[in-house]
Amino acid sequence: MAETHSLQDLRQQPAVAAKVFLQRDYTHGTMCQFQTKFPSELETRIDKQQFEETVRTLNNLYTEAEKLGSQSLIEGCLACLTAYTVFLCMETHYEKVLKKIAKFIQEQNDKIYAPRGLLLTDPIERGLRVIEVTIFEDRSLTR
Amino acid sequence: MPNSAGKRFKPTKYIPVSTAATLLVGSTTLFFVFTCPWLTKAISPAVPVYNGLVFLFVLANFSMATFMDPGVYPRADEDEDKDDDFRAPLYKNVEIKGIQVRMKWCATCHFYRPPRCSHCSVCDNCVEDFDHHCPWVNNCIGRRNYRYFFLFLLSLSIHMVGVFSFGLLFVLHHRERLAALHTTVTLVVMCIAGLFFIPVMGLTGFHMVLVGRGRTTNEQVTGKFRGGVNPFTRGCCGNVEYVLCSPLAPRYTLDPRKKAHVKIQPPFIRPDLSDRQITIKVSDNGIHNTIIRSKSKSSLDGLDEKETQPPLPPKADRYNQLKNQLTSSEVESSLSGKTHPSTPAMYKYRPSFGTMPKVHYHTAGEKIVMADDLKTSAIMEEGVRGHDYRSEPNLDMPEYTNAPLHRTFQSSPLQLDSDPIGSRSLSLKQGHCRPEKSQLPALQPQAHTSTPYKSVFSPNTLSNRNGSLSYDSLLNPSVSPAAAAECMAHRAAPSRGFHSPYLPTKMCHIREPEMQRQQVTLTYSPVLPPRGMGRQSPHPRDRDPSPVRYDNLSQTIMASIQERKEIEEREKRQMLRGRSQTHIYAQDSGVFDGGYGLTHNACYPEGPRCPVSRGPTPPAYGGSRDNLMGVGLSYGQRTPVLRHAGSTLGRAPRTSSTSLHTDHSSSNSSHSRAPCPDGPYFSPSHQPRSPAMPRSPSYSHQKLSYISALERTDSPRLGGPREAMKVNGQMDCHPSAQGATLSPSRHSNVKKVTGVGGTTYEISV
Repeated sequence: MAETHSLQDLRQQPAVAAKVFLQRDYTHGTMCQFQTKFPSELETRIDKQQFEETVRTLNNLYTEAEKLGSQSLIEGCLACLTAYTVFLCMETHYEKVLKKIAKFIQEQNDKIYAPRGLLLTDPIERGLRVIEVTIFEDRSLTR
Repeated sequence: MPNSAGKRFKPTKYIPVSTAATLLVGSTTLFFVFTCPWLTKAISPAVPVYNGLVFLFVLANFSMATFMDPGVYPRADEDEDKDDDFRAPLYKNVEIKGIQVRMKWCATCHFYRPPRCSHCSVCDNCVEDFDHHCPWVNNCIGRRNYRYFFLFLLSLSIHMVGVFSFGLLFVLHHRERLAALHTTVTLVVMCIAGLFFIPVMGLTGFHMVLVGRGRTTNEQVTGKFRGGVNPFTRGCCGNVEYVLCSPLAPRYTLDPRKKAHVKIQPPFIRPDLSDRQITIKVSDNGIHNTIIRSKSKSSLDGLDEKETQPPLPPKADRYNQLKNQLTSSEVESSLSGKTHPSTPAMYKYRPSFGTMPKVHYHTAGEKIVMADDLKTSAIMEEGVRGHDYRSEPNLDMPEYTNAPLHRTFQSSPLQLDSDPIGSRSLSLKQGHCRPEKSQLPALQPQAHTSTPYKSVFSPNTLSNRNGSLSYDSLLNPSVSPAAAAECMAHRAAPSRGFHSPYLPTKMCHIREPEMQRQQVTLTYSPVLPPRGMGRQSPHPRDRDPSPVRYDNLSQTIMASIQERKEIEEREKRQMLRGRSQTHIYAQDSGVFDGGYGLTHNACYPEGPRCPVSRGPTPPAYGGSRDNLMGVGLSYGQRTPVLRHAGSTLGRAPRTSSTSLHTDHSSSNSSHSRAPCPDGPYFSPSHQPRSPAMPRSPSYSHQKLSYISALERTDSPRLGGPREAMKVNGQMDCHPSAQGATLSPSRHSNVKKVTGVGGTTYEISV
């Protein structure tokens, strides 16, 4: 039965219909921000509000990661003092926020995007240049 | 043969870094061994401790600068660049803090390099915030390791100063025993330090200036911001803080982590579309072209999806989408970079029909709320309904005053006819109670033609779409001028359900027989169609020389056009003689108001240009033109202006009829086409008559100005189509930047702007 189940899964794996790329928003400099405009290809797949909310949250997380705050200052000084050996044992503030972002994207995918046949790709895999949204084929056209 | 990814082992590239490392470690070791013992005894034990710490710092930074990933971008996936690779322009402009920055396409990495990114030929990678490739550390200096490189330079300078000073101290105390080993070694170390002192200190000073200015070496050396503003600077303190205190940027080239499997299985949830609220939103805040290009396929796919729905509403939806997108977004022009890749930003300044391609890519910026099914059918009728309004003999001023808001939409390529359609497109939400159901069946047969629209909207057909609407109207003048305008509506609406007016000429001709068939069933008053025709002719024509199209008209059409011209001339003459000028002009102004769109930028100069010599008209025109160039709310204002101008012109030119006439003749000759002196109905045949009629020059002048305005404004007046034809064929009074005859005034409205990348854009004001 388990085999049958996995075979069914394989058979039902939807094909990729299209990919939408959300580009970076450079209007405020080289800070990592993504454009929040709603791509037209997704209009039939997901609510605009929901999508924009996701992108806005991501933007906020990236702003938090790049913030020149006390934590980054302390990290820098500590690193200097320890001849940067601290990087071997401790992860930086940015890396911590990146993990948070990865978790957020995973959660969004599971809850919101996968049921709609979409998949968000973590932008870090693309060098923080684009957010890739994969649109899967909707075989059940009759709704 | 190793590929680019597998680098060949080149020993030569390790020579500088080996030399630097050897010199650094070796010299410092010698210093510690031979000089420091005496210093410890003679001065203090703190000396070697201090030197040791500094040396440790130098080494740490040197190691970080050498071994740390500078911020290498991984190569883009194939999916990301499949639209970009072959048709992409080399540069893409993006605005950063109000300054245009150029992004270059990287052929190796297959993406547009983000700002400040550069491709290192030594490392064969695009590096974020690329500073330079340093041979002494055998690594690129980029965003992630610039801080360590800068600290390395600082600490090395300090270290060299320290070593040199303490060595000098040692040598001065051992002058009498210079041949001794310790002294010799110290001297050697001092020489090395002194030798590299100037270059290292020089480089340190250079980078201190760069950090203060917020520039990279690459930007400084290439002179990117020479005499310009650096959009990346945060002020001196902010820049220093950013370099030294910002968090360590992440690596992009990590091994792909094991992603948790996300189960994606149909059926998929879809957003609620019960009320058919589909919003298309595009914001213009970033990489416009990339979005368009990468999404062009998706947009087509999306459209395909829509076609699975019942044929009629989806087409109407698309029609509305296209209409609204085209009409309302001047901003979107930048998105049309696909069709004109070399000058994407130029689209911002083109007449609204330039936004045509955006529709295709669904990149329109506005929110388009599409009517529900009930309304979409009404939308389909819009083109048809155009004639309804046209058939109404009374041109309500209020209707035209509403037009301004719609005018913007009118100017879109999807403008099928005069204001009514434009107002209808806007009034989708308001519910269409238009009763032109009879026309709907005519539209339905064309439902099957929904697919061809894609070919229409292919990226490179923009240039072919000019004037399709106007030509449609021209093609069917036999029924009536109104019919012609209506035909345009018909053509646009039925043939594709929503196709833009900018279909290629061939398509117009193809549809001509259809339209002729349909026209017979329609009844239009003479007043309305010309307006539509006049309106459409200007902006679609912008790119195509009208004479070409004019020649394409069939003989029957030409004959019918001529007939109508004569009829109208006769009528006009009667009107001129028997009625007050004010009345005529009132009508004309009404017509004008209805017909003015927003794409008259180029044409408009003609308007004021013509009447310049005519006294009262020009000021009125200038004012009204300015108003018209705006949102169009001035349409209402134009009416009194026109009326006034008309009435004053009636009076004033009489005194200066000769001069006016002269001007008129000259303008006529220059334009190779004389607007009818009889007012809205211009006909070449009228020219000889003008001298005979003292009033006609004034009218003709005024009309000339009106006509030129008409060109652009789809004035639905009688003879509008003829005027449009004339304009297209002769005066070349197209709203766009065509028309050699109108070049002087036109130039005044076309600005040339040089972008950052050296690209020159023409902006029509």
